Amino acid sequence: MPNSNIDMISLIKSKFGDKVQIQLGKLGAATITVNNGLHRDVLQSMIEADEKTGITAITGLDLGANIGVYYHVHTSNVFVTIKAEVPKENPKIQTIVDLHPGAAFHELEVADLLGVVFEGHPTLGHFVLSENWPQGVYPLRKDVKASEVKLVPTPPSEEIKLPENERLVKIIIGPQHPALLEPEKFAVTVDGEIVTKVEPRIGYVHRGIEKATESRTYLQDVYLVERICGICNSIHACGFVEAVEKILKTEVPPRAKYLRVVALELNRLHSHLLTLGHAGLEIGYETLFQYFWRDREPIMDLIELTSGNRVYSSLMTIGGVRRDIKETDVPKIKATLKDLRGKLPFYRQIYENEPTLRLRMKNVGVLKREDALKLSVVGPVARGSGVDIDVRKDEPYEAYGEIPFKEIVYTTGDTWARMNVRMDEVEESINIIEYAVDHLPSGPFRIDTPRSVPAGEAVNRVEAPRGELFYYVKSNGTDMPDRVKVRTPTFANIPSFLKTAIGESIADVPANFVSLDPCFSCTDR
Amino acid sequence: MTDIKTWARVKSPWVLHFNSGACNGCDIEIVALLTPKYDVERFGVKLEPSPRHADVLLVTGCVTQQCAERLKSIYDQMPQPKFVVAIGACACSGGVFEGNYNVVGGVDKVIPVTAYIPGCPPRPEAMLDGVVKLLNALNPPKAKKQPKPAKEPEVAKPEVVVAHAAQPVVEEVKPIAKQ
Repeated sequence: MPNSNIDMISLIKSKFGDKVQIQLGKLGAATITVNNGLHRDVLQSMIEADEKTGITAITGLDLGANIGVYYHVHTSNVFVTIKAEVPKENPKIQTIVDLHPGAAFHELEVADLLGVVFEGHPTLGHFVLSENWPQGVYPLRKDVKASEVKLVPTPPSEEIKLPENERLVKIIIGPQHPALLEPEKFAVTVDGEIVTKVEPRIGYVHRGIEKATESRTYLQDVYLVERICGICNSIHACGFVEAVEKILKTEVPPRAKYLRVVALELNRLHSHLLTLGHAGLEIGYETLFQYFWRDREPIMDLIELTSGNRVYSSLMTIGGVRRDIKETDVPKIKATLKDLRGKLPFYRQIYENEPTLRLRMKNVGVLKREDALKLSVVGPVARGSGVDIDVRKDEPYEAYGEIPFKEIVYTTGDTWARMNVRMDEVEESINIIEYAVDHLPSGPFRIDTPRSVPAGEAVNRVEAPRGELFYYVKSNGTDMPDRVKVRTPTFANIPSFLKTAIGESIADVPANFVSLDPCFSCTDR
Repeated sequence: MTDIKTWARVKSPWVLHFNSGACNGCDIEIVALLTPKYDVERFGVKLEPSPRHADVLLVTGCVTQQCAERLKSIYDQMPQPKFVVAIGACACSGGVFEGNYNVVGGVDKVIPVTAYIPGCPPRPEAMLDGVVKLLNALNPPKAKKQPKPAKEPEVAKPEVVVAHAAQPVVEEVKPIAKQ
């Protein structure tokens, strides 16, 4: 990387001087507090200095008289938070979409849930909440009580705006659709067979989990955030407990770190096998789907063996894990993984040689490297387009710094590359689990932590199967958090689909879409 | 004629799956039911993409504000007689999400529910058992001819509650009044 060694913080210090306040080591490498308006300039100078600069998340939070808008920015070597505040009476702030298109969805979400007006944003409107949500009620503000919201009784209008050009046809996919396991709506405009526009509407699975965490204790919240997603549940719990541990300044015992890695990688294994199979289903190759799901079942059995549950492992807790792996279980784990490893060459050969797969996946939904950087995509989608980001390598958490594994990067950026990243990661996950169970340190697997958390805030990033998962936790000294913000990987990846689908056949939409491994229960929360 | 109808329904119920705000936990377990290890198709159960062809509606997840209308319209599109199975703790009662600002509650707040399968998520065996119990409830005198769940090797004993609406007199199920 030509510019990965830039000292971004000194650069901002020299460029802006006293106009910004820099606190080192808070919320990432540094927190940069800016006066209203300067956030754009700071971000612009960061983008100019480093091409890998992107927006991880925008957190909005109620600070009493003001609303805080925190921009969490990543570059190739640091992670910083830019803090801005707007008055509650007149919550207006300049948009940053023109500087970094990947921020569009984040701004829409903050606008919908906290009522911040982003001046200059191209499309403002309900994004997460339903159409009949009352005007002027913003659920994440502290004065709004969940039980007191009264909906406007009119049913949501299902009016479809027809395209003006008669050649164009608008096809509505969802909310209930055979290709989607989850209710989401995509309005696809087609000219003949060619897609010209995709308009997403998310929020069908919005359950208000971020608000709900504020009225539950930290321990209850671990189980609640786990239920954001049934597929990558351990990773959600891990992201949350690590953030709380950062505020508590607790170091978990080494054995707990390794046990967490085993749980996280088992989660990744079953999630990747699920997607690799699901892709087969979407291109009409049902045999492949059945094969992958058959081989996924032994992994589910391993999750049950190590945690007691098939789906929700509920293994993570603040200060460690809740269960140890028995010595007698290690050979079973290894035997199952060995079986799976033996099956991988067969699947690789199918992905490499099978004409059906090649025709439906090669050169479909190509995402170029520069677009991937502009849109801040994460996980296998970014790694399929030649962007080498993986939190496990970039900012190792738990025991990942001690475990050798390879970062998988493909450069073609098509559906096929994204699926192959997952295929190779299955093998890496097997290696990681085998290494972890072989090198399990002795000692306790949990330490006691206080129930109340001192006032403070922390950000935490972990690598979920779908990409980087971001948590922001703010505590106020009680046993309940003040604000929990979750930025899930699919939320960051959807903009790339809106771009790659355009100009391709409508028949390629499902295969392209499933290659993002979309998870809407994560996206909506 | 009644016998033929009951036979047809019991032998091959077509199910429609709708996620009304679930976390994917129950959904992937429903898909796992269709795949080789559990293979619910051997009982004639087929996953059907269109509500107009479905006999049984499997609903997962608490009902969110956005999904309530859709759930009702999907239910209205299904032909008579129709049955609704609420799968998972959230679909039964709202679960951990009960009381959140965007959540209506359990499925029975929106449409009548025939059977409840609790669990977070229920094991595939529990879902199988629920389906078999529903089929048996439709046709109690011929219960001997029903597929035996005992053939399944690791049948746990899940707690499945078949509600009163699943009484054997199928013809009495009335379409719900449109409000």
